[in-house]
Amino acid sequence: MAVNGVGSSVDIAVSGLRAQSQRMQVIAENLANAHTTRTADGGPYRRREVVLRAGGDGPSGVTIETVRPDMENPLQRVRMPGHPDADADGYVTMPNVSIPSEMMNLVVASRAYQANAAVLKRYQDSVDNALELLR
Amino acid sequence: MAINPIAGGPNPVSGVSGIQGTQRAQPTAKPGFQDTLQTYMKNVDKDQHASSAAVKDLLSGKSEDVLPAVAAMAKADMSFKLLVGVRNKMIEAYKQTLNMQV
Repeated sequence: MAVNGVGSSVDIAVSGLRAQSQRMQVIAENLANAHTTRTADGGPYRRREVVLRAGGDGPSGVTIETVRPDMENPLQRVRMPGHPDADADGYVTMPNVSIPSEMMNLVVASRAYQANAAVLKRYQDSVDNALELLR
Repeated sequence: MAINPIAGGPNPVSGVSGIQGTQRAQPTAKPGFQDTLQTYMKNVDKDQHASSAAVKDLLSGKSEDVLPAVAAMAKADMSFKLLVGVRNKMIEAYKQTLNMQV
């Protein structure tokens, strides 16, 4: 029985758990910086998203390819004349984080995490079932 | 495996020579059941050590990721259960052989 075989279900499920928890981490960062106007690169915060990649040949789980900034959604311009980062017209460029859609992504990521945990549990149960046959 | 030298020997009483026979046969023959079992037990032991090291790392704060500990514990648990199952089955077979009417 390949309990520890390469590409065992335990490792695959754990790689899924890791990927989803990384997604949740990035979503948390997006939500925390939903109104951040100053970053190290200058300019407002840009929402980030995780890009996942399937493992090599055969089933070997998922790896985190990269975490890249979202350049598709435009940054929002909000009129806040008193703000220190406001331009000459009184507009502040705010991050392109949409809190409702981040909350939706959070639900998706946490459900996917649960699904991977369920796979891990079911695999352990099925190994236990197989070992019951030894008795 | 130990039965062959005893049955094949001219003197059935000398069980000791039978045991010596198996020991001599080991280097030339393919790995016996004992070696297989020992290798598997070593693997199970390695899993157990990996699991306890992962838990220790987690509790001592060396690692903040709970997932390696989860994976190591799941693997150690499953392989140990398999070892216990095989061991129970072997003891059972031994007892059945012992109670056999000759």
